[in-house]
Amino acid sequence: MIGDLASLYQAIELKQEIPPLLIGERANPNGSRKFRDLLLADDFDGCLQVGLEQESRGAQVIDLCVAYAGRDEKSDLPRLVEKFAGSLKAGLMIDSTDPDCIEASLKLYPGRCVINSINLEDGGANLDRICRLARRYGAAVVALTIDESGMAMTAADKVELVERIYHLAVDQYGLRPQDLLFDPLTFTIGSGDTTLFDAGIQTLEAIREIKRRWPDVATLLGVSNISFGLQPAVRKIINSVFLHEAVEAGLDAAIVDAAKVMPLAQISAEDRNVCLDLIYDRERSEEDTPLMRLMAYFSDHQGESEEEAEHGSVPAEEEIRRKLVRGDRDGLEDLLTILLQRYPALEIVNRLLVPAMREVGDLFGRGELLLPFVLQSAEVMKRSVAFLEEFMEQDAESGKQTRILLATVQGDVHDIGKNLVDIILTNNGYKVYNIGIKVPAETIIAKAREHEVDVIGLSGLLVKSAIIMQQSMPQYQEAGLTMPILLGGAALTRSFVAESCVPGYTSPVVYCADAFAGLKAIREYEQGCLASTRTAAAVPVRNRPGPKEAIDSSHDVPSVPFWGRRVVRDIDPEQLFSYLNRQALIRGRWGYRRAKLSKEEYARLLSETVDPLYARLKQRLLDEHLLQPQVVYGYFPCRSEADSLLVNADSELFRFDFPRQVLAPNLCIADYFKGGESAQDLVGFFVVTIGEQLAELTAELFRDDQYHDYLMVHGLGVELTDALAEYWHQQMRAEMGFPDPQGQGELEYVTQEYRGSRYGFGYPACPDLEAHRPLFAMLRPEEIGVSLTETLEMVPEMSTSAIVAHHPQAKYFAI
Amino acid sequence: MRYICTCCGYIYDPEKGDPLNEIAAGTPFEDLPDAWVCPLCYAEQDSFDPLD
Repeated sequence: MIGDLASLYQAIELKQEIPPLLIGERANPNGSRKFRDLLLADDFDGCLQVGLEQESRGAQVIDLCVAYAGRDEKSDLPRLVEKFAGSLKAGLMIDSTDPDCIEASLKLYPGRCVINSINLEDGGANLDRICRLARRYGAAVVALTIDESGMAMTAADKVELVERIYHLAVDQYGLRPQDLLFDPLTFTIGSGDTTLFDAGIQTLEAIREIKRRWPDVATLLGVSNISFGLQPAVRKIINSVFLHEAVEAGLDAAIVDAAKVMPLAQISAEDRNVCLDLIYDRERSEEDTPLMRLMAYFSDHQGESEEEAEHGSVPAEEEIRRKLVRGDRDGLEDLLTILLQRYPALEIVNRLLVPAMREVGDLFGRGELLLPFVLQSAEVMKRSVAFLEEFMEQDAESGKQTRILLATVQGDVHDIGKNLVDIILTNNGYKVYNIGIKVPAETIIAKAREHEVDVIGLSGLLVKSAIIMQQSMPQYQEAGLTMPILLGGAALTRSFVAESCVPGYTSPVVYCADAFAGLKAIREYEQGCLASTRTAAAVPVRNRPGPKEAIDSSHDVPSVPFWGRRVVRDIDPEQLFSYLNRQALIRGRWGYRRAKLSKEEYARLLSETVDPLYARLKQRLLDEHLLQPQVVYGYFPCRSEADSLLVNADSELFRFDFPRQVLAPNLCIADYFKGGESAQDLVGFFVVTIGEQLAELTAELFRDDQYHDYLMVHGLGVELTDALAEYWHQQMRAEMGFPDPQGQGELEYVTQEYRGSRYGFGYPACPDLEAHRPLFAMLRPEEIGVSLTETLEMVPEMSTSAIVAHHPQAKYFAI
Repeated sequence: MRYICTCCGYIYDPEKGDPLNEIAAGTPFEDLPDAWVCPLCYAEQDSFDPLD
């Protein structure tokens, strides 16, 4: 019984009388959604069920993998190994790269199992530990043909790696050849990648050569990789044909979905020949590749096989709808190729893609689809249209497309909102002229005429931008424009648009809360029913809260370690992440809101999607040095005079004029500083930036139509800028003699559980950017690369400024 | 149920209400007056997301 495996109940031979040994692949969170969901729900009985099901469908060994982001493999793996060992007659394959997890599992397993896997990717450190464990506990080992330079592609390289690993495992660690399963790996021949045309041939050749040179070892293959990228129904046939060829070449064991292995007899000779042409790369020419023939063949023969109907394959028309709604780009081009044989390209866009995008919009509107997923759908749309474009007649549609001009208004550099509108409109089949940021009204008028647009969309984040929109309405009117104008932006409200913008322009002026409100407005325009925004019947007066008690100006003035300004450059970028407002990032900037999800569903969204995304982006920003946090800050003597603050810097007097609340309690920033001729107080200021690199990356992502990552990186950048401000404000509090207590965290920052406050210029307590003039004269932030535009906005965008008040009563308020 | 402001992270807890805006303790989020906005960042109510 040398070389055999054993479960608690039976012995299993690696080399079956009728090969291959079938190893079930579904107990793996990275390969099976069902298993992943069960694992994440801590449903270990459900996980076992996945193993039992595979066994009942013919799997003789079950591969068990539990490595998944957010899960603790060290506790999950032994727990499930124990469960599987007690119930499964099939053998067990422990799929892990962590020697500690493997050891803990080996200790618990009552039979003889297989470890999956070793390789030489790290030069042999892991191999060393795992081989020792295999020898000590008596286990077989899977070895992958991977070394420091990656996965072996050619038969010669694969065999050479087998030789190296064989030598190590047998001669150095004393494993028996019978204990080794070599997996020579295979790559997809279904993607059209010209470097992989012979991937199947190389793998089959490697299997033959391994069996010839080392007849005692076993060979193993994850068969389904061969067809990655193709439609499920087609994959099943190719995989089965390829498995048969591999067994002919000497394959002993296959990792498969046991339920999807078709007996060769069930595959027609014609089907089989088309697959064999692809596997052996037969009769290939530039314009007629085996892959094209296979896709054409199966698109004509869809539904012929009974097997397909049984497993619920869907028509291509339905599949493309699902792909768009799910934002799934896997096999997209193949699917479109199939559809092109049925419809002209333009019809695919208008009859299939656009309605699917409408569905996406409706789902978003109902709160059933979150923004990041909408962007993934838009990416699939963009890719589809780009693929179909070459099959369309030139300008077939441009004549009747609705045209929209988009701009961020004068003095405003923020373009994320406008670009989201661009993404949504463009990918709903509209012609968008996106003319950028800081666009003066004159240019908007000229461009609207030049492109003969049907609708204008204006955007802006700042309070000032809302005012600019209001002021430019009469200008558009005088210029004789008649197209509707859509307005969007953070500082706008429905009632502001209705009361302050609508009266200035005769044609409709419409408030749009988000990109989909913009899309809705364009549709209404097309239907002839677009109307100006009106105020709701009774508009309640908005509360503008703030501390209500009288301000006590007998406060003590802290002492500071220096007077004047200082520049700080040696800030560890990683530190910023611990000051991040994660809720604002994830739910706000990124749009991963809980909305209609249950608490459990939302927790799963976070652990499966959001946390790994965050980890990936954080790593990228740090690895690629995309953050250059820099600070210029200072402490200055000052006193207040009515609504102004008079600040001494370099023996010059700088004056900051602050607005005061019109309604009670009539707050003004100046009130938090001692006033009068002889009064002496202290004020802090800072300007911080994370530099320009991240902005360059976001611009690149937008250009490349990577909408999802564009929103994610931009949002992370904005919040990291805020994190840097939070961090530096904390440093300044410590320097002024009131450091935060231990354990202060995100929530305490949100609610300002510290002494004093900081007020950003351009924000609610001081919406006017005029204060930037004296601030820049005093701090000279140009030294850290931050400058002002003609409208007093800071560039780069990911910079922020603030006045720091130490008064114990100073907290956020709004004008 | 508590609600969180997706703009700044402020948490509206019905058990505490919002004394600054004269919202009595025990007022569910759904019953807040239309004019109520985030007391910290002034975001409107549709910027709030269920917390637990």
